[in-house]
Amino acid sequence: MSLVLVTILLPIVAGTLLFALPRNSETAARSIGTLVGAATVATTVLAGDAQWSFRWLSRPFTAAFHFGATPISFWLALLLAICTACAIAATRVSRTRDMVALILLLEGAMMGLFLARDLLVFALCWDLMLIPVFFALIGWGEHPATAWRYLIYNFAGGLTLLLATAAFGVIYGSTDVIGRSAAPFAGGWAEWIYAGFAFAFLVKTPVWPLHTWMPPTYSGLPSPMVSVVSAVQSKAGLYGFIAIALALLPAYVHAFALPLIILGAISLVYGAVIALVQNDAKRVVAYSSLSHLGLIAIAVASGNQLALQGALVYIVAHGLFSAALFIVLGYVEEREDTRSLSRLGGLGWRNPRLAGALCVAALAALGLPGLAGFAGELIILIGVYQAGYVWAVIVALIAIVAASAYMLRLYQDIMNGRPADDVPVRPDLSWREGLAIAPLLVALVAVGIYPAPLLGTHPAAAVTTSSRTP
Amino acid sequence: MTIPFTHVDWAAIVPVSVVAVTALIVLLADFFVSGERGRYVPITIALIGLGISAALAAKQFGHNHDAFFGGFMTGGFTTVFEEIVLLAAAGSVILYANIGSAQRVAGTTAIMLWSACGAMLMAGAANLMMIFLGLELLSLGLYALCAAADRRTARESALKYLILSSTATGFLLFGMALLFGATGSVRLADLVAPILAYNPIYWMGAGMFMIGLLFKLSMVPFHSWTPDVFEGAPLPVTAFMSVATKAATLAVFARFIYAALPLGVGDRLLIPVWIVAGISMIAGNVGMLAQTDLKRLLGYSGIAQVGYILVALAGSTPQGLRYALYYLTAYALMNLGAFAIASAISDAGEEGSQLRSYRGLAFRRPWLAAGMTVFLLALAGLPPTAGFLGKILILASSAANGYIWLGALLIIGTAISLYAYAKVVRLMYSREEAPVHEVRPFVPLAWASAALCAVAVVVMAFYPLTPSNVLPLVR
Repeated sequence: MSLVLVTILLPIVAGTLLFALPRNSETAARSIGTLVGAATVATTVLAGDAQWSFRWLSRPFTAAFHFGATPISFWLALLLAICTACAIAATRVSRTRDMVALILLLEGAMMGLFLARDLLVFALCWDLMLIPVFFALIGWGEHPATAWRYLIYNFAGGLTLLLATAAFGVIYGSTDVIGRSAAPFAGGWAEWIYAGFAFAFLVKTPVWPLHTWMPPTYSGLPSPMVSVVSAVQSKAGLYGFIAIALALLPAYVHAFALPLIILGAISLVYGAVIALVQNDAKRVVAYSSLSHLGLIAIAVASGNQLALQGALVYIVAHGLFSAALFIVLGYVEEREDTRSLSRLGGLGWRNPRLAGALCVAALAALGLPGLAGFAGELIILIGVYQAGYVWAVIVALIAIVAASAYMLRLYQDIMNGRPADDVPVRPDLSWREGLAIAPLLVALVAVGIYPAPLLGTHPAAAVTTSSRTP
Repeated sequence: MTIPFTHVDWAAIVPVSVVAVTALIVLLADFFVSGERGRYVPITIALIGLGISAALAAKQFGHNHDAFFGGFMTGGFTTVFEEIVLLAAAGSVILYANIGSAQRVAGTTAIMLWSACGAMLMAGAANLMMIFLGLELLSLGLYALCAAADRRTARESALKYLILSSTATGFLLFGMALLFGATGSVRLADLVAPILAYNPIYWMGAGMFMIGLLFKLSMVPFHSWTPDVFEGAPLPVTAFMSVATKAATLAVFARFIYAALPLGVGDRLLIPVWIVAGISMIAGNVGMLAQTDLKRLLGYSGIAQVGYILVALAGSTPQGLRYALYYLTAYALMNLGAFAIASAISDAGEEGSQLRSYRGLAFRRPWLAAGMTVFLLALAGLPPTAGFLGKILILASSAANGYIWLGALLIIGTAISLYAYAKVVRLMYSREEAPVHEVRPFVPLAWASAALCAVAVVVMAFYPLTPSNVLPLVR
């Protein structure tokens, strides 16, 4: 059996089997989950660009369970595997067994999404990855409406993706097209097909004004799950833009670039402004995600080669630091039973290791040179400038300044100042907790100092044949 | 007097006869058993009979034969629909293991088998009289079955079904009479004469006939009887109605539009049908939102699901028919599985159809909750289930045949439906109340049925079996 298949099936099978453990087994579930997560990291690396294919449909169009990493999706799969392993190691919630199982199932579905070389399989995994998050929201969420909002928004996106995929398959004859230098697709329905894809991708990213499901979802989900969702699931839409829309329908991405850049710019500023005034720590990070993902959306829409390379670096960077941020906020919430910035304070005095972890993650998020965020932002800005969208660069710079403001505010309100009297004092990070977050912090530094492997893979390779088309 | 039929004619309806005879054996066997354990005897006999019939029907696949002077056609199309009806009957009879009083099981099982005979006749009917015969056999049994429960709602359900179904039959019969008037023949094969396109009597007849069928399929605006009847009828009967009646009526509908329309008529005659299907997909799914009873919920769901199947038939292409059959099979499995789980959680006092009895089910009966989740998500079209692939195939067919607007309506309807299905899922997985029922009956037959359906629903997503050679014939 191919290693690619193992990478996808291992988390799914392990996640299902976890339900066979006793209901209250906490340590066992977490250890097994972490091991499986680490094994997935290994198989992702070892599998490389190996492929595996199995014929699914021959009519009305050909489709296959065709999996294999492309130069872009390899990094996303690796990011997913690392974030999942760390998130599981950091898991400490009620019903740990169920949560670990759901995270593993989510990893399997998303692994399938990123490794899919077939559009129909991509659409299948797109819908599949909603289910574990929905279950997490109804099991651990704070408000039932959040689960509905998440499900309905994303399922609506998934359905337009499905309709567009079906129409694409019927016209093109095959959906086995991801990562091939196939001829760009054109035809009577191409605009509508692009619209279907774009809607799904924009909802998932999310981009203003389709983002309203996102802040409650991020603040409602338990930390380990949300660190995976915000780090990786939100990248599904951007990955779709790069690997599907830009590769198959480049003419339409270029034709509708301006609206997309405007939406991205609005998300960028809107997210930053709202993040400045939030009191819930998780919501600060949620809105900062909206802002950062807006920047990536601009980069993708600009169609510039350099901007696309920067987008890949920033996708990885954002994945690493948002996973780290949410995990740290989870630790804070475990200790202090609150996420309210006005109640928290002075944690840094007694928890220096926790403060250090939050510091690195927050600095990466605000784009400090030497950490991963900076490398991505810089390359994106140069690329977008080259593409001629000077105003977008200026807007982005404003938002990046705002990012320093809200990230430092987040850090200050939690770690600095006088220790709050009404919140309990708890011990600093344990070994387990520290080890859970260490890989993410190391990776943030590594990518910040040496982003060359990410740039070297040349994310544009998959789209070079077509992206020059006006 | 000589009977003008040969053994070949009788051989064509052997699967039907086997089911009819099985019903008699069930009744005879009932003389010799009694007590609570006794309810397994009729069920076992019925399952064996249905299995034999399914094997015999399968042997007729690919043998196109025109029996009884065009009354009954064997062949791939007939076989597939017969198998779906047999599956529905088996999946419904099993539910009597836990539902209803033990004395009544033999009688109701026998009537259900005879109803299934009617549905099987409709699957192969190639003339108007055979269609009517099959339909009446199916419906008469169902009137009795609906009333066979100790509830007032059951009798109300039976009466409602009797009156509204008779109205539909009236339409159908009047349409048939007009069609006969236009052609002078009851054979579907004679309905293809091109000259009929200019005959107003034909148009009136075909329109009435369509209305009758849409009534039976419970398409909007002829749908309002369905939820009420489904709610009142005993659980196994609801399961049977939700699959077998729809399958049999779809068989008649598909045979009529594929093989019995004069050239060029289809485009004009069927446009209203597609519009009705589009409205049904929206209305059925909206209707689900406010339901508090699983049977009502699945009643509304069925309205929308049949709408999806009609979308596959729009354009009358062979591919579309195959996708319709794929989805119909998947729908049968999902519904039968959901009803099996409902029966597994019901106890003496209450059929497990009230949605409130599903609250917190995942913490009391995790396997049943997981199974129900599979079926509900499959009905909503989420992967990895046959519902997902079926929707993709139907969407592809609508795009290929120029009915993309129906595909768009399907998408909207599905988005609405997810809320209703996921609401039940949320109910099962939310722990807000102490467990109400501590009785935990283990019903092996229902469990087995649910497990088989769940496995089949998932496996079908990866091995899309869409048999070829299923085009309906009339001669």
